[in-house]
Amino acid sequence: MISLQGVTYSYPGTSSPALRDLSLEIPRGQFCAVIGPNGAGKTTLAYILAGFIPHFYHGSLQGEVNVEGKNAATMPQRELLRLVGLILQNPFNQISGTKVTVQDEIAFGLENLGIPREEMVARVAAAMELVGVSELAERSPLGLSGGQMQRVAIASVLVMQPAILVLDEPTSQLDPVGSREVFQAVREMASSGQMTVIMIEHKVEWVAAFADRAIALVDGALLADGEPRHVLAIDTVWRAGVGQTRYTLAARRLQELGKWQDGKRLPVTLDEATLTFKAFQKRR
Amino acid sequence: MAEVFGLYKQRASFIHGLHPLTKLAVSGFFLLAGLSLPGMWSTYLLVIFGLLPLAFLSRLLLELVSRTGRIVLPFMISVFLIQGILWSGGTPLIEVGPISFKQEGVQFAIASSGRILIVVGSFLWFALTTRPDQLMLALAERGLPSSLSYLIVSSIQIVPRFQARANTILDAQRSRGLEIAGSIFQRARAVLPLVAPLILSSLIDVEERALAIEVRGFNYPGPKTSYREIAQAAWEPMLQRFLLLAMAGTLILSIVLRLVS
Amino acid sequence: MIVEKAPAKLLPIEIEVDSISFTYPSGIQALEDITIHVSSGERVALIGQNGAGKTTLVKHLNGLLKPVSGSVKVGSWDTHDHSVAQMATRVGYVFQNPDDQLFQRTVWDEMMFGPRNLRWSAERAASSVQASLEMVGLEHIKEMHPYDLTFSSRKLLALASVLAMDTQVVIIDEPTTGQDYRGVQQIGSILSELNKQGKTIIGVTHDIDFCAEQFERSILMAGGRVVLDGSTRQVLSQISVIDQAYVEAPQLMRLAEKLGWDFMPLTVEEFIHHLDG
Repeated sequence: MISLQGVTYSYPGTSSPALRDLSLEIPRGQFCAVIGPNGAGKTTLAYILAGFIPHFYHGSLQGEVNVEGKNAATMPQRELLRLVGLILQNPFNQISGTKVTVQDEIAFGLENLGIPREEMVARVAAAMELVGVSELAERSPLGLSGGQMQRVAIASVLVMQPAILVLDEPTSQLDPVGSREVFQAVREMASSGQMTVIMIEHKVEWVAAFADRAIALVDGALLADGEPRHVLAIDTVWRAGVGQTRYTLAARRLQELGKWQDGKRLPVTLDEATLTFKAFQKRR
Repeated sequence: MAEVFGLYKQRASFIHGLHPLTKLAVSGFFLLAGLSLPGMWSTYLLVIFGLLPLAFLSRLLLELVSRTGRIVLPFMISVFLIQGILWSGGTPLIEVGPISFKQEGVQFAIASSGRILIVVGSFLWFALTTRPDQLMLALAERGLPSSLSYLIVSSIQIVPRFQARANTILDAQRSRGLEIAGSIFQRARAVLPLVAPLILSSLIDVEERALAIEVRGFNYPGPKTSYREIAQAAWEPMLQRFLLLAMAGTLILSIVLRLVS
Repeated sequence: MIVEKAPAKLLPIEIEVDSISFTYPSGIQALEDITIHVSSGERVALIGQNGAGKTTLVKHLNGLLKPVSGSVKVGSWDTHDHSVAQMATRVGYVFQNPDDQLFQRTVWDEMMFGPRNLRWSAERAASSVQASLEMVGLEHIKEMHPYDLTFSSRKLLALASVLAMDTQVVIIDEPTTGQDYRGVQQIGSILSELNKQGKTIIGVTHDIDFCAEQFERSILMAGGRVVLDGSTRQVLSQISVIDQAYVEAPQLMRLAEKLGWDFMPLTVEEFIHHLDG
């Protein structure tokens, strides 16, 4: 459970806030996508949730951030570390660079926490299983494909059993196969119940297919929040420069031509588009 | 796949199973003995009767010879040519037209080549047979701060990645018409466009890396545990101590020999 | 600043890739018997999974890599006989990661690097740089430090710095990574504009919807070989073949298939036209 109350934040030395008066609640076990154009404040939000703001980056933070019922700003950093995990864009930069095999790499965080060896072995095995990298256990983490490496990075954070996992554009450096692997692994984690997932992402077709909820940010403010297929169909979200599926774009074009049934929600996913456009063809 | 991870090569040899500090002591001994023992041929004896048998036992003989050769041969050739020809005075050994090879120059070249050979060879043998994470663990057990051992091990491991990055940057700038062959002036002009992106992009990476290991509790207070145990045979600590003594002995011997000669 | 536009004097240049194979020093065979002809002014996309050989192939087009067997000709030049710096007068290559090339203190100096390497006169260089900056919309930040720009602007700068060299052929590797929706649209319109000027565009991309909308011809690669080569519509509509190469068909084609159409649309306009037509 995460809650933000009236959060406004400016980076040091800047006058205009990167986030403005943001309030939202994310319940446990939800897979929540954050969408929006570049510069909308998505990464800033991720850093606030992970505690990097205000623990590493200073600047001015107003409002309240509560993680699992505790104030993130005043919580000791080591406590926050055990609550929140963070995955960045570039998988390579998240590999520790000191381990020879994937399983050793995944154990790195547990070693730092001082977890006893027997428990470590069990947790590493479970984390590998969950993101589907068990067969890579003996491989070198640096010799993997981008998608495999990113899943190892996810397992490395997951193994620390954070209540919340924040992912900042984890698929931007990956090919479609690697991206799909990551989306599927993240979906499974959220579905397994105990983890809240917040994922910043541009690939809206997959957001609609996999996420429970989408939060659209524009200029640091909340523009829309709800089920992905509702959020992605909203006009203001489109005009603010948030990506759209081609299905939605096709429906918008019909709307412009005055051939769209008024009041009907625009299709976002392939299945919705199939139904919608089949009906459209029949009517003609 | 292990080859992308620094130099370490997985082999089923008993050398690979030795404690990292034992191997560190062995290569340290070669290094010190090679650099301090007097005489033109002493380093070659160390290579033939010490390093090569060890490489054979590590099942890495060819690997070690070819890697060492690639680094050392160009140096050897140039030092022979330069010292042989340019040695002022001295006894001519071979004369080809106006050029003459001097005996003293050749002797100097043999001695310095031997030193380079033992330094590079013993370092490579150590790197090829020692898992970096085990080295890090062993150093931590001996009280080295974990941030320092992380820095050492991760920088060694990052070298191949750094090389790949440098090659990409080289390609990108050549594609923009940068000429990298040619006069010294041209080469000097090519340095900035190659080095600056390497440093700037590495700085960006460093910040991300710092965040990423922070998330994984790197600075978490309290004792760390380890996923792996390092096996150590009962005789290994003894061997390590013996090698340390041998290093001290060699050092004293070489000083004494130098004083009497 | 008022500058004259450099006179357009591009010569048509054909690219002939004749049965080339390439093996990396590590022993990995990256390309196997590839033959491709690219005419002047074509827009060609290379698609396929990571490791399929796309980047290895384009590195042959400006001589960064030389084929182990076979030959690559750009116009009359065989890449075996010319340095990369010489090839840079004919083939521009925009790398995927802008941080692999940016090094100057200002945007303007960064832009001037290529033209200076080509030993252009100061006036010609300045006018070309100005035009390229305008094309990508960065003309108002000439004095900024490249590293103070956002990633997507750095990416545009890297593209512009290659365009400033005014080559007939432009290779562009993964132009849309890290760009948001509007950024992708902008890259698309820059490519169209270049194509209008008669330039040959060769793009490497994972963004298959972008490929469908921007490239007239597509080459699907897998395992170092060319699997399909033809018009983008022909190539992408072979959905079962491209599935095997781990590439997803574009959204509108998947929709057309579901709707039971024979027609495979590339753009929203085409889709609407067929639906409503």
